[in-house]
Amino acid sequence: MTNGTETSPAPRREGGFEREPARRVFAGELRESRIHFKEGQDEKSPSFVLLPTGARCNRVFFVGTLTEKKKQGEQNLFYRARVVDPTGTFFVMAGSYQPDAMQQIARIEPPSFVAVVGKPNVYQTPDGAVLISVRCESITPVDKETRDQWVLDCAAATLDRLEKGASTPDGERARKEYGMDPAIFRKMAYEALAQLRL
Amino acid sequence: MDFSETAERISQKVMSHGHAVEKTAIETKLRRLVEEFGVPLAEAERTVTNEMAREFSISGLQAGGPGEAKTLDALVPGEWVTVECKVVALTAPPSPSISQTGIAADQTAAVRFVVWSRANAPVLKEGNWYRFESAVVDQYRGSVNLKVHSGTTIREVPGGGAIKPVITPIAALRPGIASVRGKVIQEWEATHDRILQSGLIADETGSVRFVTWKEEGRERLNPGTVYTVFYATVDEFNGRLSLTLNTATVVPEEGDIEVSRGDASFEGAFVHLAPGSGLIKRCPVGGCNRVLSRQNYCPVHEIQPNFQYDLRIKGWLDNGEETREVLIPRAETESLVGMTLEQARELAENTPLGMDEVFLRFRDALLGRYLSCRGREIDGRLLVSGCTRLRFQPERLADLLNRAGGSA
Repeated sequence: MTNGTETSPAPRREGGFEREPARRVFAGELRESRIHFKEGQDEKSPSFVLLPTGARCNRVFFVGTLTEKKKQGEQNLFYRARVVDPTGTFFVMAGSYQPDAMQQIARIEPPSFVAVVGKPNVYQTPDGAVLISVRCESITPVDKETRDQWVLDCAAATLDRLEKGASTPDGERARKEYGMDPAIFRKMAYEALAQLRL
Repeated sequence: MDFSETAERISQKVMSHGHAVEKTAIETKLRRLVEEFGVPLAEAERTVTNEMAREFSISGLQAGGPGEAKTLDALVPGEWVTVECKVVALTAPPSPSISQTGIAADQTAAVRFVVWSRANAPVLKEGNWYRFESAVVDQYRGSVNLKVHSGTTIREVPGGGAIKPVITPIAALRPGIASVRGKVIQEWEATHDRILQSGLIADETGSVRFVTWKEEGRERLNPGTVYTVFYATVDEFNGRLSLTLNTATVVPEEGDIEVSRGDASFEGAFVHLAPGSGLIKRCPVGGCNRVLSRQNYCPVHEIQPNFQYDLRIKGWLDNGEETREVLIPRAETESLVGMTLEQARELAENTPLGMDEVFLRFRDALLGRYLSCRGREIDGRLLVSGCTRLRFQPERLADLLNRAGGSA
C-alpha cells in the first residue's frame, strides 16, 4: 500500500488538479508536529504540516477507536471527538463547514472503531501549548480488521519515511527543525505492531 | 578537422556572383569559429556565408549545399534547416497571418509546418515534394514545428519515392505527428458544437482519446472497426494526450486486433465517496446513457420519465503517497457493497431519504476500507473492471515487526 520509490513532494501538474494524498501517521507522531506552512501565494494553495519523520501533510487518514465525543456551541454547532490509536490520541473536530462529517459523528456511539479522513491544523493555546487537531472530512465506523490493516499501513509508511531520512527536502528540513531521534518513531511503530499480536 | 570542402563551397558561391575571394581566408575564418569558439561547422558555414554576402552585397546567398538537407527526425528546435519533404496534409490556417498549415513528411518522420502570410511563399500542394531552405524549427505545444518565413526559399522537387509512415504504438505516443493502427473502442457524446466525433482508440499497447473537428470531407469512424490513421496530430493538454484526426488520412482495415484491456491497478484506502455515486438514473435514449438530475432531466434529451436505474461508485483511493480517482461500474459495485441494483431500488423507494439512503449506505460500506482496483486508466481516472477488498495479512505484520525492531 505504500509506495517506497515515490519521493515527496510529487511535482504538481500544471493546470491540473491533484488531490493531496492522505498521510498515514500515528497519533504519537502527529502530536509532535509544530511546523505548518503554505506553498504558493494563492489563497487556495494547500497548507501543510511538516511531520517530524519528514513528510509534508495536507491530509491524514487514520483508523482508531472513537472514545469520546462532545457537542459544543449553540449557533455554530460543532463536535469534538477523541480517536485513539496504539500510540496516542487524535483530536478530531467537525463543524458546520463539514456537515457530512458532523452528521456521521452524530450517529456514532463510542466506543467504536472509526476511519477518519481529515486535515491537520496546528493551534497555539493562550498559555503557549501547541495543539494539533484534525478537521474531519469524513468519519466512518469500520471493523477491527480495517483498524489492524491501518496499523500495518501506518507502521510501513512511518518506517519508509524514517528510511528515506534526510534524503528528501522535507526529510532534511524535519531533521533540522525538529532534531528528534528517529529511534523514537521506530520504537513507536514497533510497539503499535506488537499490540496487534496480542 | 578539414574545412577545405566547406570553404570550397562558400568560395564557389561567392565566385558565382562574380566576386573574387581567397579560399584560404574563408578556411581560416571557419577554423577560428569552430576551433576557437566551439561553433558547430554548419553554423560556422552560415556565419561566414552571411559575412561574405554582406561584404560583397550579395543578396540571397544561402549556406549549405545540395545533399545537406536534414531528415525530419533530426530536427531540433531553434535550428535553421534545409529539408526535403512531402506535403501530406493541409489544414485550415487558424489565423489570417498564417497562409498555410499542414503536415510534411519524409521517410523518417512527419512534422507540422506553418507558412506565414508575410513569407510570400508559393502555395504548397498536397502530395508534392518540396525543398525548404532556411526554414526555422521551433516548438509549439510541445511538438516540433517547421516555420516558413520570408527568408525561406521553397522549390518543388521531384518526388522522393513513396513514403511508408512509421506506425507508433499508442503507449509510445508523444506530442507531434504520428501514425497509429487501432480500434475505435468507445464513442463519446460530443461536448462541443464543433466536434464531429470524439472517443477512444486502442491498440495492443494502450488507448488514447481522439477527436475529429467538424470540417468538410471529414467522416465519423465506426466503433469496433480497426483503422490505420496516418499523420494524426498528437496534442498534450493538462498532461493528457489526444489525437486530432483532422490532419490525418484514415484507412479502415480488415479484421480485428486484440486491444489492451487496461492493466492499470491501484491499491489504497477508499478516502472519498463523490456525489453521483450509489443509485443513479440514466437517460434511456439510445446511445445517450447520461446521468439524469433528480428531476429526471438529461442535459441533451430533457425530461426522461422512463429512465433506467444503475449503480456505480465514484471516489478516490489513496495509498498515502498518491491518490487515484476510480469509477466502479455496477457489477463490481454490487459485489463490493453487497447490495444489488434491485435491492438498492427497493431501498430508495421505501425509505424517506430515497436515493440518498443508498449513497449513505455506500459511504458506510466503503470509506476507510482498503481496496485493490484494476482496469483501464484514462485521464488519470481508473475505469475499474475488477475490484477486491484487501484483507489483513498476518505475514505482513511479521515482516514489519522485523523491519521496525531489526535495525533499531
